[in-house]
Amino acid sequence: MSVSEDVEPVIAARDLTVTFATRAGTLTALEGLDLEVSPGEVVCIVGASGCGKSTFLNVVAGFLAPTHGEVLLTGQSIRGVEPRCGMIFQSYALFPWMTVLDNVAFGPRLKGASRRLRREQARHWIEVVGLDGFEHAYPGELSGGMQQRVALSRALANDPEVLLCDEPFAALDAMTRQVLQQELLRVVADTGKTVLFITHAIDEALILSDRLVVMSARPGRVKTIYANDLPRPRGMDVQLTDRFLELKRGIWDLVQEEVVGSMTALQRR
Amino acid sequence: MTGLGNGAELGLWRGLVIGALGLVVFIGGWELAVRTGLVDAFFLPAPSTVLARMLDLASGPDAVLWHDIRMSATRVLTGFLLSALVGVPLGLLMGMSPVVRAALGPIVSIIRPLPALSWIPLSMLWLGIDEQQKYAIVFMGSFASVLVYTTDATLRVDQTLIAAARNLGASRLQVIRFVMLPGALPNILSGLKVVLAIAWTCVISAEMVGANSGLGFRIWTAKEWSDTGQVLVGMLSISITVLLLDILFRGMEQLLLPWQRGGVR
Repeated sequence: MSVSEDVEPVIAARDLTVTFATRAGTLTALEGLDLEVSPGEVVCIVGASGCGKSTFLNVVAGFLAPTHGEVLLTGQSIRGVEPRCGMIFQSYALFPWMTVLDNVAFGPRLKGASRRLRREQARHWIEVVGLDGFEHAYPGELSGGMQQRVALSRALANDPEVLLCDEPFAALDAMTRQVLQQELLRVVADTGKTVLFITHAIDEALILSDRLVVMSARPGRVKTIYANDLPRPRGMDVQLTDRFLELKRGIWDLVQEEVVGSMTALQRR
Repeated sequence: MTGLGNGAELGLWRGLVIGALGLVVFIGGWELAVRTGLVDAFFLPAPSTVLARMLDLASGPDAVLWHDIRMSATRVLTGFLLSALVGVPLGLLMGMSPVVRAALGPIVSIIRPLPALSWIPLSMLWLGIDEQQKYAIVFMGSFASVLVYTTDATLRVDQTLIAAARNLGASRLQVIRFVMLPGALPNILSGLKVVLAIAWTCVISAEMVGANSGLGFRIWTAKEWSDTGQVLVGMLSISITVLLLDILFRGMEQLLLPWQRGGVR
């Protein structure tokens, strides 16, 4: 999972700039952002709210077109919505009218897989996230943590190159969040998927990431990249080690600097 | 339509018992008021009299009441289905396409505030007092509402779900089929439920003005004869028919929206 120079990156953002036209004028969400993600790597992006981290994810997913620069997926520029980048949303985004099985089988269904095949695949991925027995439940009957597991298995059933996670555990309670973090680590280790994970929780980023990207306040660009050298597997106890606290303090200082900086910039206006 | 007092927060049985008690007190008080002479039976006949009158009108060789209910219900359902058949697809289109929405918006805004009653003169001049005229009244009275409810339902489909489907590889057509339609369905159905009640007011008005059958006609003729008993029978029949149709509609809703049955698998 180490970063080596000769491996072609799965994702490469080059001089990425995104601006929005608002009533108050042009808003620059991202400016000259450069970032590479290697195959099998888990990269977490932290930053103050409004720093453009969700904007970045939306560009990678193909929901947003860059104003300038580009994002390459395995060497090719992303144009239009990109199913090879499977998105996990904070609000789970499960189809409430479909059972768990049909939700997970949705990607294969769109690809034209036969009913038998796609159900078989769906059953496999439901089992991977430990939800066997709930195939015929509707999302509304499940807890938040279970719904996010369904969303994870729905994304995996579509066999994406990259998992894009947009603060997926932010709406969950602390206990469930930790369980799901471990679950995600396990699934990622088993499948070797590349993960781009956005969060504002530094603890979460430290537990999950191989590398941790701190973004600057708006306009967003990469401020610092940490190679996260915390030993794996990272259970609960890693959070009590000196190294964890040292990293957390350093990152917190950086993020705080940005928050304070953007606040004084606002006041000056 | 029956949004009032199903007593869900009291538990099913307690709610039902209290509701039944309320009904008994109301009808009992009414009966008593008439029997004791507090209210003149000519202006307001006792419930027992109304019931006897109802049985009378519903039995016998002509059984006019059944005929009236059948006529009114047929008119309502025909007009309602016609407006749903045209309004739902058009509303979906308006919800999905800003261009269609902009083009039809002003027309809908002009038609929508018109009460069904205001269509009666034109429709009579064009269609006489045939069945078609009744369908037309119901159609004109409910069509714009179907359109507005459906457009609204389509616009309220969760954008994140659309994004999720696109992310999983859905084409625009697949998004419509797998996300927009099922996502809008619950709100379309609750809109149609409201429109069905509107359709009833349309048909009753139309029958009062120009018809020779139907519940509206029955009430209006009874009034000409100062037959308050029959007026009340007609009104009661409307209530019962609408309630029954509502129950039917709810059953259909449960069938179509199994995921909304609230925790019951």
